[in-house]
Amino acid sequence: MKFNQAMPGAHAGSGKKFRKLRVVVLRAGMSLLFWFLCGAPVMPQTPVAPSTAGLATTAPAFQVFTDEVGRRVEIPAEVKHVVSLAPNLTEIVFDLGDADRLAGDTDFCDYPDEASKKPHVGGPINPNLEQIVSLKPSLILATKSINRRETVDALAHIGLPVYVTDPHSVDAMIASVEHLGAVLHAEKAAAPLAGELRARLADLDRRLAGTTPSRVLFVVWSAPLISIGRDTFIADALRHARAQSVVDTAAEWPHVNLEEIVRLQPEFLVFASAHAGDTQHEIEALRTRPGWRDLDAMRRGNIVVISEAINRPAPRMVDAIEQLARALHSDSFASRSPQLAAAANISLEDCSCAR
Amino acid sequence: MRPLTLKRLLWTCGLLAVVLLGCVVLALKLGAVPISVTDLMWDLGRVAVGGSDPLPSEYSMIVFDLRLPRILLGILVGASLSVAGASFQALLRNPLADPFVLGVSSGAALGSILAMIVVPQLALLTPLGAFLGAIATIAAVYFLGRREGQLDSSTLLLGGIISASFLSAIIMFLMTTLAGRDLRGMVFWLMGDLSTPVSAGLRWILTVGLFAGVGAIYTTAADLNLLLSGEREAIHLGVDVTRVKLVVYVSASLLTALAVSASGAIGYVGLLVPHAMRLLFGSDYRLLIPASALGGAIVIVLADTLARTIVAPTELPVGAMTAMAGAPVFIYLLRRGTR
Repeated sequence: MKFNQAMPGAHAGSGKKFRKLRVVVLRAGMSLLFWFLCGAPVMPQTPVAPSTAGLATTAPAFQVFTDEVGRRVEIPAEVKHVVSLAPNLTEIVFDLGDADRLAGDTDFCDYPDEASKKPHVGGPINPNLEQIVSLKPSLILATKSINRRETVDALAHIGLPVYVTDPHSVDAMIASVEHLGAVLHAEKAAAPLAGELRARLADLDRRLAGTTPSRVLFVVWSAPLISIGRDTFIADALRHARAQSVVDTAAEWPHVNLEEIVRLQPEFLVFASAHAGDTQHEIEALRTRPGWRDLDAMRRGNIVVISEAINRPAPRMVDAIEQLARALHSDSFASRSPQLAAAANISLEDCSCAR
Repeated sequence: MRPLTLKRLLWTCGLLAVVLLGCVVLALKLGAVPISVTDLMWDLGRVAVGGSDPLPSEYSMIVFDLRLPRILLGILVGASLSVAGASFQALLRNPLADPFVLGVSSGAALGSILAMIVVPQLALLTPLGAFLGAIATIAAVYFLGRREGQLDSSTLLLGGIISASFLSAIIMFLMTTLAGRDLRGMVFWLMGDLSTPVSAGLRWILTVGLFAGVGAIYTTAADLNLLLSGEREAIHLGVDVTRVKLVVYVSASLLTALAVSASGAIGYVGLLVPHAMRLLFGSDYRLLIPASALGGAIVIVLADTLARTIVAPTELPVGAMTAMAGAPVFIYLLRRGTR
């Protein structure tokens, strides 16, 4: 191997010179080190100082908020440009009527349609920090269960305010709507929206009073089988629709053993999908697979496909909850005014309960 | 091969430093947000002489708070990994040695993760955890690679690969069982990723560690040349082999650990760069070590620039870029070595 051809000769010949060099290199190294250590922390500070001064003149007042994970956030009194780092937050910003102020969102923000036309900053897990900064945001929105802490810390470190939401239940999602209303100074839109969502949930509660909860398996992913843990907002959404997940674990998105599901025999299988057709194909394929074909719910066709909105802690989630409640407890919705009954029928067709 | 002279050493390092500077300017210019190179030079000059004109704030945030620190981190990580690779290659007398292939990077990664789990409040302890993990792994791989008292090339590599997969399995286990502990970001970090800015404290530790580690290894450069022709031969020529080995093992593990604790396991840099430098400038370690440090910095800065730009605004982990370039080189060296 060429690699092994070292040259002891060269070493013997120029040994003295190299000992001298060692001293020189050591000295140069030390001075370089000194320069770097003293220089490095100063470098970012020099240009930042005028920039914060600039901000202070254009926006004299800051308001201090505590976000949902307990961080202290200083938010300018006038929020001109918002960047959303998660699809659920994008939806809330649109629902609050603040689409114009949304300067950017992620590749995954596809609802409403205009959201996908906004400038994208990359995916929620690895957004491009440079792209975010270039949109000159006065506020950045993040969600703990979707974004990475490192991203939030990095943005906060360079002086950008990041408000983090962390909903673990439907009620907390509605509270998030109100919190975002406060930080965006859009309370006028947030209060009626939150009120409407709470009223719809209360109505659902009244209708479903007395029904026994259905035991369901919520399928996040079918191969491998991923379901939901008890502390997720989806588990809470199921409870609002009088459904109880058969999977009961502290892990948020547990990888579940199919044998365990066969033992537990859920009454219904619940899938969430944006494209009901694709899900039908998927269910057809699962029907013949070992494990899946041993589920009573699969044999009886007790399968419910609801809107993918259930996967996002945003107001649209309540639509999905109502959809699921109608599919699971249709009796509670039958004895209503003709108008409501018609609506119930339509959404029953919509939600394409298999068979 | 021409004998190494002081003049040639300085010229070579100077040349590489100029190339590195060029790459840094290129990396500063390219990115999700394009920046004109003349404006950039003008502003850099103004900042360097302490000019008072305020820069536009989002522009200065991008260049000075995000891009420049990331490039500096890339330089530190690249230099550390390359010098560690070159040292392991001499010490183990194996051209395929590299911190990643030997499992040292995985050991450092496990050490960092354990430190993050046990003392999450003290982020600056992660490099220490990484260092302990790296030292333990290289010791284990070294003993796995011995056969009848001699280091056996293929046994050593197998030992490294097996250690790496064993350690990765433990990391997987920790990440699955401790799902609630916010270790999601780790997945990116494990691939080798420079997109997460590190704290100023960690950058200090990295800088001091790089100079200390490379300095310590450089004091043994002449001995490493002799060691390449065989341990027994080196002893006969008056090399204190035990001391050299200890210094180089500890320093190379330190360099690997620092790089991993800042940027995760970026693979194949320690393999690719020293070989390229050997082809270009010969295999004298007194030149190879500084050349590898500069070359490693150049390669990481370029690889990270590519990772940042080819699918912008989405980012690729820089580890994916280096593995794409490094794995074929590894196979080439392996095939050539067996013939």
